[in-house]
Amino acid sequence: MDTAFAQRRRRDLIVAAIFAGLSALVPLFVKDVYVQNIMVLTLMYAALSQSWNILSGYCGQISLGHALYFGLGAYTTALLFTKFGVLPWFGMLGGGLISAAIAMALGYPCFRLRGHYFVIATIVIAETALLLFQNWDWAGAALGIDIPVRGDSWLKFQFTRSKLPYFYFALVLACVAWLVTWWLEDSKWGYWWRAVKDNPDAAESLGVVVFNSKMGAAAVSAFLTAIGGSFYAQFVSYIDPESVMGFQFSLLMALPAVLGGIGTLWGPVLGAVILIPLTELTRSFIGGSGRGVDLIVYGTLIVLISLARPQGLVGLFSPRRKEAAR
Amino acid sequence: MTALLETKGIWQRFGGLVANSDVSISVGRGEIVGLIGPNGAGKSTLFNLIAGVYTPTQGSIIFDGEDVTGLSAAERCERGIGRTFQVVKSFETMTVIDNVIVGALIRTTVMREARRKAHEVLEFCGLAARANTLASQLIPSEKRRLEVARALATEPKLLLLDEVLTGLTPIEAQTGVELVRKVRATGVTVLMVEHVMEIVMPLVDRAIVLDLGKVLVEGKPTDVVRDPKVITAYLGDRHAVGA
Repeated sequence: MDTAFAQRRRRDLIVAAIFAGLSALVPLFVKDVYVQNIMVLTLMYAALSQSWNILSGYCGQISLGHALYFGLGAYTTALLFTKFGVLPWFGMLGGGLISAAIAMALGYPCFRLRGHYFVIATIVIAETALLLFQNWDWAGAALGIDIPVRGDSWLKFQFTRSKLPYFYFALVLACVAWLVTWWLEDSKWGYWWRAVKDNPDAAESLGVVVFNSKMGAAAVSAFLTAIGGSFYAQFVSYIDPESVMGFQFSLLMALPAVLGGIGTLWGPVLGAVILIPLTELTRSFIGGSGRGVDLIVYGTLIVLISLARPQGLVGLFSPRRKEAAR
Repeated sequence: MTALLETKGIWQRFGGLVANSDVSISVGRGEIVGLIGPNGAGKSTLFNLIAGVYTPTQGSIIFDGEDVTGLSAAERCERGIGRTFQVVKSFETMTVIDNVIVGALIRTTVMREARRKAHEVLEFCGLAARANTLASQLIPSEKRRLEVARALATEPKLLLLDEVLTGLTPIEAQTGVELVRKVRATGVTVLMVEHVMEIVMPLVDRAIVLDLGKVLVEGKPTDVVRDPKVITAYLGDRHAVGA
């Protein structure tokens, strides 16, 4: 029995390695910049959704305010670079740490709330932060920050001639987020989080310190999300509050995981691979009319998928489902 | 030998309602003690006070020589108090083995060790065959056993069983009784709240009867069931023959 479990873990790892390897080869064949752009975004959202999944999927604390951490990552990197000349790599780390600290500071009062009340709190806090940034002159207020382009360099993490470096970084980011989740899944934290999600009272009776578990999940989740935000700032090289802290980011982080399978290892990846190209393609092919047809199509598809498989698409591939059916 | 668990003058009020008034009980090491009483007697309250869900309004709880009155449920679990819930609280989206691993993780952070321990406990509780089933797919009696297994995985010194035998078929209940005996044989002290008198009485060494938030009678089960006060509490004055 133990071996079956270990085998499944190993198989997950091998499948991930194969996917990562194949993804790395894709740019050799796909030269179209538009498509490459979609691939970068897909990988980025896979990473972001995986990070969101740690707090909301595994630990069950549904956050619709993760745009806050995404924005903090983007702003920290951009501000440190433009104001103090700090390299984006340090900005990335700094943004991650700041986000983790803020996630815990916010978690302190908010984790006393349960269910919908917690969700509402996350939305309100992210919206408040958005307003603060819109009015914070030093941080560019509503105009945002232009990250000066100083030529292609890994050191400054800027590339103007090709999207490939961003692609490979996003791929690494997605792999790291996946690996962190994979590792946490079979750790004390992973078990504690799932226990907290399913039944906090029972968890507490088994020695799980519910509050600390939530704090840990929030910190890891916010840290990884902020790294994604830092990456995004470098990728688009111009940020303003609405474009990195808007509510749509919170949704776009949650949706892939929900669609793919919330609280599962593969859900966010699968969800992002389906959802992000769909978002981009519907926008570019039928979004030009200005009547929001793309959003209607997009919304309809999400509704259809949720109706067909409310527990997430990943269940279609899950060995556990076969076990249960046996 | 000192008692494993002692409550000293416990009072618990919920607003104007006094659920426990001046309850002092003690449970010796290796005993199986039954906590019985009619509905609303304050059994569950006392139980939750011992498990650490509430802090008593007044009084103290001594466990294994230590005052645990102010400790949280998680801290008490670490000290060696394991519990089950009257309304089962399985981790529904997790498999049976994963449910038990959560409990085992308080004694070790090495996953392989926790997994081994969980298998051992499932074997002990007769759930080994269901290890990889989702908890949500268990039948009620299996869920009760899972509650016990999970608590046992925390390696408790004292196991609190909240109506684990209620609502089971006679055969299932009998299996449950065997399990409780087996648990005690491993050196774990058991305090059980139970409604089904005919099942509990042969099982427990001692019975404590609560009524209206107070300890009414305590003693050997055979004596307790004949006690006029107990019969009055359960059935009313008219049935208390010889009172």
